[in-house]
Amino acid sequence: MKSKNNGKDFCMFALPGMFCFFAVVIIPFVYGVYLTLTDWNGVSKVKNFIGLKNFAGVMRDGQFWTSLLLTFKYVIFVVLIVNVLAFAIAYLLTRGIKGQNFFRAGFFTPNLIGGIVLGYIWQFVFSRVFVSIGESTGWKMFEVSWLSDPTNAFIALVVVSVWQLSGYMILIYVAGFMGLSEDVMEAASIDGASGFVKLKNIIMPLMMSSITICLFLTLSRAFMVYDVNLSLTAGAPYGTTEMAAMHVYEKAFTSRQFGIGQAEAFILFIIVAVISGIQVYLTKKQEVEA
Amino acid sequence: MKQTSIGGTKRKVTNALAMAGLVIIFIAYMFPFIMVVINSLKQKRDIIKSPFSWLFTIKGLSFDNFVKAFTQMDFLNAFKNSLLVTVSATVLVTLLAAMLAYYIVRHNNGISKLTFALMVASMIIPFQAIMIPLVSIYGGTLNVLNHRVTLIFMHTGFSMAMSVFMFHGFIKGNVPMALEEAAYIDGCTHAQTFFKIVLPLLKPIISTMVILNSLAFWNDFLLPSLVLTDKKLLTLPLSTYSFYGTYSADYGTIMAGLLLCVVPILILYVVLQKQIIGGVVAGAVK
Amino acid sequence: MRKGVMKKVISLGLILVLMSAMLTGCRFGFASDPDDPNEEEKEIPIDTSVDTFEYDSSLSGTNITLLNSKAEIQVALEKMGAEFEKKSGVHVEVMPVTDGDSPYTKVVSLYNSGTPPTASILDTTDVIALAKEKAADLSDESWTKEAEGYLTEVDGKIYSFPLCIEGRGIIYNKAVIEEALGESFEPDSVTTQDEFKELLERLVNAGIEKPVSMAKEDWSLGAHHLQYIYETYEGTSEGAGEVIEKIKAGKLDLESYDRLREFLNMFDILKKYNVAKGDPLGADYDEMAIDLADGKTAFWFNGNWAWPNISEAGAKEEDEYGFLPYFLNNDRNDFVNHQIQASPSKQVMLDGQIASEKEQAAAKEFLNWIVYSEIGQQMLVKTCNIIPPFKNNPYEPSDPLSADIYTKVHEEKAFNASAIVPNDHWAVLGASMQKYLADRSSREELTEDIQKYWDEQE
Repeated sequence: MKSKNNGKDFCMFALPGMFCFFAVVIIPFVYGVYLTLTDWNGVSKVKNFIGLKNFAGVMRDGQFWTSLLLTFKYVIFVVLIVNVLAFAIAYLLTRGIKGQNFFRAGFFTPNLIGGIVLGYIWQFVFSRVFVSIGESTGWKMFEVSWLSDPTNAFIALVVVSVWQLSGYMILIYVAGFMGLSEDVMEAASIDGASGFVKLKNIIMPLMMSSITICLFLTLSRAFMVYDVNLSLTAGAPYGTTEMAAMHVYEKAFTSRQFGIGQAEAFILFIIVAVISGIQVYLTKKQEVEA
Repeated sequence: MKQTSIGGTKRKVTNALAMAGLVIIFIAYMFPFIMVVINSLKQKRDIIKSPFSWLFTIKGLSFDNFVKAFTQMDFLNAFKNSLLVTVSATVLVTLLAAMLAYYIVRHNNGISKLTFALMVASMIIPFQAIMIPLVSIYGGTLNVLNHRVTLIFMHTGFSMAMSVFMFHGFIKGNVPMALEEAAYIDGCTHAQTFFKIVLPLLKPIISTMVILNSLAFWNDFLLPSLVLTDKKLLTLPLSTYSFYGTYSADYGTIMAGLLLCVVPILILYVVLQKQIIGGVVAGAVK
Repeated sequence: MRKGVMKKVISLGLILVLMSAMLTGCRFGFASDPDDPNEEEKEIPIDTSVDTFEYDSSLSGTNITLLNSKAEIQVALEKMGAEFEKKSGVHVEVMPVTDGDSPYTKVVSLYNSGTPPTASILDTTDVIALAKEKAADLSDESWTKEAEGYLTEVDGKIYSFPLCIEGRGIIYNKAVIEEALGESFEPDSVTTQDEFKELLERLVNAGIEKPVSMAKEDWSLGAHHLQYIYETYEGTSEGAGEVIEKIKAGKLDLESYDRLREFLNMFDILKKYNVAKGDPLGADYDEMAIDLADGKTAFWFNGNWAWPNISEAGAKEEDEYGFLPYFLNNDRNDFVNHQIQASPSKQVMLDGQIASEKEQAAAKEFLNWIVYSEIGQQMLVKTCNIIPPFKNNPYEPSDPLSADIYTKVHEEKAFNASAIVPNDHWAVLGASMQKYLADRSSREELTEDIQKYWDEQE
């Protein structure tokens, strides 16, 4: 498919897809970046160029940095737990256990429901169901709603995110395990390598490409958590669980500082881009061809 | 899929333990759904006072919530809109993404590299960052909001990056050049080669992308709420708005409405289950 | 793969059963419950036989859109729109503010998309933010004369139509109090903070352990509770504006501001008798309504908008519910101890930027119809269950909470003050109030937060 007719190929194969992508994502994004350099408030007719003033405003917005710090903490927990859990479950589900197809399907079901609704369901579970279990059993851990305490509300957010994200990661890891040739696994078993050694020396290196993708997906999704944040805790109690994306939204629309909100969104993007870039670079280096 | 089992009782014990662990985690996964199903059949008062009580100890157990949700959502119309938008956008994005990814893999030039890099980077743009610019371009300047076509186009654009990314990985790893070269020798044009030789090879990843994209389109709330305001055009998730009051929510109806939204996709999922899992398994990561 | 097949069959079967049950609307035999509020939506009949309103026939066929941010009247508004269309030929499309959006976000994104609603129901702060840039000037409309005292002016002009009066205070359930105390209860007999405390103590002794419900939501704490410190400055909106200016300018020391101290005294009393004292931030809004209707509690700090919830919890229109003031001190002559706060809350703003003249005229006609036509008047009160701010509207709301506010407004037992605060006031200071409610901050820290919030405003 090299050689001649390159232009025609480009128009036919690449252009339509690229057009959709640029028109919907890139152009609005660039326009959005431009808006951070103006004093537009989302409503007014005039936009005055004000340079980096909005970014100076971001520096002064202490709450943004607090929420960013919290987001980092959240991302670390979510990424670790999701990947460890998904990796383990995927491993179990490729060992020929009875009904493994049923399980695989089951673990995927959280993906069937959209984020906002999902948050509401969990909010109901945490604030009503668990408390009512606590009332009838006397279990200390469910005595008060998790969502009314900063630490527990944070844990609740992590739990729900893990629940939501892991199903998809399980599938990718399952795919990875299925891709490992049986010879490798068997050879490893016969060689007497077992447990941890087998995992560390043989399976992990071969699974690196799955791990790269899963880490990238969980990282970016966790950084951008919004739906669940909004519908599960909405930042409660007293603003202690407000993550970066939600803060950006609140800044732009509730506090009506549109330019600053837009600038914060841009900074968030840069941070996520840098971190996921580093992650992909590091894990790619570990990959070996199977 | 079976693995030859080696070892004796030790293996059996670990297997049993693993099984037990799986079952427990599985139940934990299903718990919220079970709560939704149970409570969708109850009245608000019972939902709030005793959410956990089992169905038959509660009086007033009924399908009222479903009837109410069904009529208030204008279910059939919303279902039609959702179906139209989801199907068109899914077909469009799958086809365009496959072609674009194919081009990128086979033409390792500047444009390819730049586009691919931009796409990967764009996967981490927060939607909030482009929400207002998006509506001001499409509404304010082009004035094309409130059409299903616009929504389909936007869905296509937003899921392009992820889809190309997935196709790219699959094509790179699973589609051998040799086949294509053979086709060219036989006198096939590029288009014929793609549609007759390459596309069939992509089946596993296509079924994966179809389910993932259609799930995302079916459930999306924020984008459709920006694009569609005309009542006749609302999709299923949008049509449940009226169950959320300013101060409190109508839990029973919400849960019934939720089940009504999920049921169609659940059917698709049950039917396609094997391909979905198989699709991810067969190709996905490389 | 027999299991897989089984699962498919079972799931499909379940789905089919569910579907067919829904479609036929079947119910389990034992389900019918006469008290079930879901069973039959009660509808108050509207008398449409008399209609002296003059419709402008040239507007017939015009389409207008109305953005509704008051979710509980969505259905009622649609009915109103349909009735108006029948008479005037103007089609009113009622658009809801969908879940997860604030009204302001919605309006802004609609303006950006070039399809703003012809009319929008918004909060007063939103109107002030948008008025000069977007709104149509309504100063010359004749209904302004009927709504004297309830109009919001921006630079001397009127840009919005006051849709309803809402009031808040301490809701009581009279029957519960009387039953517990074994004597008749006269709400007017409670005139000071100490008397209110005494009443609570008697209720505790009579077996109602924690007689008060208070919401944990930031809008309740940050707007409805805390804003008393501005609104009670002298009981007017102007006074509220004045005290806010003083705080901003640093001319008023919050630590020695009486109203803040008094407000916190009252808040502490409510906090002490809060039914959710063990987990105040875990309190559930719907449960509060149920508790009040059941008599587990006797009081709930809230406004007349809570009626649908209380009614859903089993209360009936003939039950006696009403409001006690938010007692601030023991001075019987202080207006705060015998008046409750009631002021216009939602405003209708017309688009003056993009809507055509015909659309604007049709929207204006709709507003006039609400104020002057017999049908509009009835529907505003009966269908939407709203307390009208218009003097010429002869209808009285029928639910006990709205009726109580209606009476109090007409007997001058209510003060009309609403503080105009920045849009994030309720969210930011609501969080501070939540902290205070959960005993995680002291009065000093709360005071500091309030001061800091105002210092940051430009």
